[in-house]
Amino acid sequence: MMHRRTCLRGLGAALALPLMDVMGWAETNKEYKPPVRLGFMYMPHGVIMDQFWPKDADSFLSSPPPALESLRPILDQCLLMKGIAGVPIGPFSGAPHALELSTWLTATLPNSDKRNEVNIAISADQVAANFVGAFTTLPSLELATMPQTWKENQAGLNEAYYSHCSFRSPTQALPAEINPRSVLNRLFHRDDKKVDSPSEERREALDRSLLDLVLGGARELRRTLPQSDQQKLDEYLDSVRSVERRIAAIETRQKEAALEKAGLRSSKRTDADSPPIEIKIPEGDKRSEYMQVMCDLNVLAFQSDITRVSTYIGSTPNGVSYPELGFKDQHHSQTHHNDQPEMVNKVAKITEFNIAQFAYMVKKMHSLREADGTLLDHCIMMWARGSRMATSIHVRTFRSLWRDEVVEL
Amino acid sequence: MIRFGLVFIFLSTGLVTCNAQLSPQGLKEDQKYAELAADADKNFRESVSPFVKKYCIECHQNKRPTEAGVNFSPAIQKPGDAAFTQQWKKSIARVKAHDMPPAHANHQPSEEERKTFVEGVAKLKFLSPKDPGLFVIRRLTKTEYGNTLRDLLGVDRSIADALPDEVSGAGYLNSLTPIQMELYLGMAKRAVEQLKVSTNPRSVQLRDQFFQSENISEKETIGVAESAARGLAKKVYRRPPSQQEVDVLLSVYHLGIKNELSHRASLQLMLEAMLVSPQFLFITPAESIDPGSRTVRVDDFQLASRLSYLIWGTMPDEELTSLAEARKLHELDILQQQTTRLLMDPRSRALFDGFGAQWLGMTDLRTKTFDTTKYPQVTDELRSAMYDEARLFFECVVRENRSVADFIDSDFTFLNSSLASIYGIELPLDIQKMQRWQLNPSDRGGLLGMPGVLAATSFPNRTSPVKRGVWVLEQLLGEHVPSPPPEVPNLEDQEKEKIANLTLRQRTELHRTQAVCANCHAILDPIGFGLENFDAIGRWRDHDDTGGRIDATGELPSGERFASPRELKAILASRKEDIARNLAKKLLAYALCRNLEGYDEVVVDAIVESIATDGYRMQSLIRELVVSYPFTYRRIQLPNKPTASSE
Repeated sequence: MMHRRTCLRGLGAALALPLMDVMGWAETNKEYKPPVRLGFMYMPHGVIMDQFWPKDADSFLSSPPPALESLRPILDQCLLMKGIAGVPIGPFSGAPHALELSTWLTATLPNSDKRNEVNIAISADQVAANFVGAFTTLPSLELATMPQTWKENQAGLNEAYYSHCSFRSPTQALPAEINPRSVLNRLFHRDDKKVDSPSEERREALDRSLLDLVLGGARELRRTLPQSDQQKLDEYLDSVRSVERRIAAIETRQKEAALEKAGLRSSKRTDADSPPIEIKIPEGDKRSEYMQVMCDLNVLAFQSDITRVSTYIGSTPNGVSYPELGFKDQHHSQTHHNDQPEMVNKVAKITEFNIAQFAYMVKKMHSLREADGTLLDHCIMMWARGSRMATSIHVRTFRSLWRDEVVEL
Repeated sequence: MIRFGLVFIFLSTGLVTCNAQLSPQGLKEDQKYAELAADADKNFRESVSPFVKKYCIECHQNKRPTEAGVNFSPAIQKPGDAAFTQQWKKSIARVKAHDMPPAHANHQPSEEERKTFVEGVAKLKFLSPKDPGLFVIRRLTKTEYGNTLRDLLGVDRSIADALPDEVSGAGYLNSLTPIQMELYLGMAKRAVEQLKVSTNPRSVQLRDQFFQSENISEKETIGVAESAARGLAKKVYRRPPSQQEVDVLLSVYHLGIKNELSHRASLQLMLEAMLVSPQFLFITPAESIDPGSRTVRVDDFQLASRLSYLIWGTMPDEELTSLAEARKLHELDILQQQTTRLLMDPRSRALFDGFGAQWLGMTDLRTKTFDTTKYPQVTDELRSAMYDEARLFFECVVRENRSVADFIDSDFTFLNSSLASIYGIELPLDIQKMQRWQLNPSDRGGLLGMPGVLAATSFPNRTSPVKRGVWVLEQLLGEHVPSPPPEVPNLEDQEKEKIANLTLRQRTELHRTQAVCANCHAILDPIGFGLENFDAIGRWRDHDDTGGRIDATGELPSGERFASPRELKAILASRKEDIARNLAKKLLAYALCRNLEGYDEVVVDAIVESIATDGYRMQSLIRELVVSYPFTYRRIQLPNKPTASSE
């Protein structure tokens, strides 16, 4: 027992050190450099290429294609890509939509012998979270517009493939949060309590020690379980570790705040930085307002360095319609347009709408000051749509917008 | 020679007592199964495989683009593979509906060929080896977690409301994430806080039993903490804790003491630790398992939980736990007795809330959108009454051990004043509580005439014969209905002037004139039309919204004709075996938390065969399911040996 606990303590310390280092307050003399953040946003199905892809590089900034109109003020910072390899879905061709989301950031097909389980690959966002997640209170943030409860296990595939894009490990899909209020609570943990009271601080430490012990017990339990159960328990272990890490990060921040109060360290925020944005949760059920509050939350999470990695599933493949645009047709049915102008037009409208929400988010980032530039200067944001196969659009590629910057994670 | 023979017999009797599978009965069954498998294989080679090669493979093969994404190349290599179960099922539906091969294909199979194909595919289940299916320890669902906190600590189950909703039914996504873990930590704290002050008898009893701190000397505290750890863990973990588990809990107690918490507060900290432990959040085995085994019996404690969560949606009670402790629960007669006991208990309403409502498609009834200008009477009260009617009726069929046919055709229901107005019945007083009500033989009585079901299968402003047809075929009879091709316009999108004066039936029939739709709708629509006398909230009517007279005549795929809901009901009620098979399938998938695969079909066959003898009674169905192989055994080995033919 002793030896396990010692080992855990050791681990905690190993995590805490780089944390102090990277967050910048250990090096008071050096100029503060904000961290790089990485965000992904998604729309299913295809785009109408004439409305999306610029005619030529010269006219791009002055007269962008209609789908990109909303990005106008920051077009010069955007990079458009097409023909990024879509995964050929070969053995799963019965499930074009079931795999849109799950192959997006994994660039892999599920293991076809275990198709009724989750068995794919760690996703790009989670690879990043493995590197930078330990420095923030949340390793990553997963958001979605629609509940991930749609069932569609085509071609014998596990239902998780249909509605998830983030995979913590090859066997664990990460559910996304759809309720803005829960996201807000999550970002700011115990919003109803004063975090800086001494008893609260002690309580955090106690929680962490308690989880340490529970974790040790869980490891012992793991040894008695068959291999199939062990995998399930690994999710548990992983989750507990993540909570521990988060409490550790909060403790570190409290210490930092205390030191700052005593005049010993300089805050990493400068006076010139914009104050944290305000979140207003909309009353009605307008899709644009809802998506914008989710975007705001994403911005806030990046701005206050609560996380550095996010995914936002703006919409899912089936059953989604956009009454706000003046028609009730489902997105999916319209994409089977056979070049009928009316349907083509509706697909274009839906694409414009989705890109406009993305534009709302990045423009907001652009408007916020951070260090010597804007928040957007320290973010890589990607918007992409899923791959699909249909008779009307023959290209099977991802089309993406990528901020033009070299990353150093 | 003789002596040798004698020794041999002795040996085999010795084996019989310790391994049930080698009993003469078991051997006979295994032999029978081997014969069925051989027959299925022969059938596959002689009729199914040639059919696929002749009519399907040209478009549906392993090359791109594969038509509609359906690929038969791997399926005909490994026809018994569970991965293709769904694909084969869909193919039966398409071929039966004459939807496939498409009308423009060069060759069309004869009726005889279609029939042998369908029969041959139905036998593929026998190619699956005997297998209870993989069962991985599972996390309690949101509802189960809330109920368990209530029954364990006497606290409010709404503590669980913080958890996100889950994918329900067979597809329940049993994962655990950092957010959820954090929520569990918060909920554990809230539960312990509530326990401290709750006046609920269970809370009081638990506090008296485990959290007394008066009259305990310093020396005794450790002993008290240890017995509290053992006693509490047995309840919280739903099985006796191991010594190691008790040690972990004691170290939590010491952590509390070291942090200057009182004896009592340290005990509470220990409970908090239990509530976030995997032993509580997951249903874990009580005994460690030999890592080499592939299939194991679900141990008695795990079985107690499995049974209790299936029927009550909560933790096992004392009686189940003590039977598990005595290692008796798995005995056939005891397991059956206990199943009956649980079903007769009021807590078995969880079976409707968890399973029944899902089966009938009524889970969303409380939030379903209705056109309130057209149907102003749809209030929360009415929605609740609609739901409760179906619930009480379902419970009645279960508790009175009625035949599954009673779901379709019966002479009673449950009403209160607001629901009675939908029935056009005037109750003598304003009655809010649901009352059992005797019905005269009529179009009502049974699920098909229930406002809740009729509303759930309608659009917000009108009925949907198609939805109702699909509901009857899929939810009651268990047939697979192919989904519509994406290009098909909705009824709303039909040209306005063309349809202005048509009844819904005429409009739907017009929609059916399109070739792509005709085949399936010829099956679906007549059933839905048979229920057109009920409007979108379940009121009786003789005329459609357009004023045209309702024509409720129709015909089932089997050729039986009817002219009113009452006649439709009578025909459906006579298909007891189909209804029982469908219920057994859906309930088995729910009980196992997974989709059914090859061998499960064989299990379902056995259940249906066995309950046929007493008229397909509901309790018999559930009892047979509980003692079945996949419910009492589990496979623990992952199918992770990559096969040579993997794509």
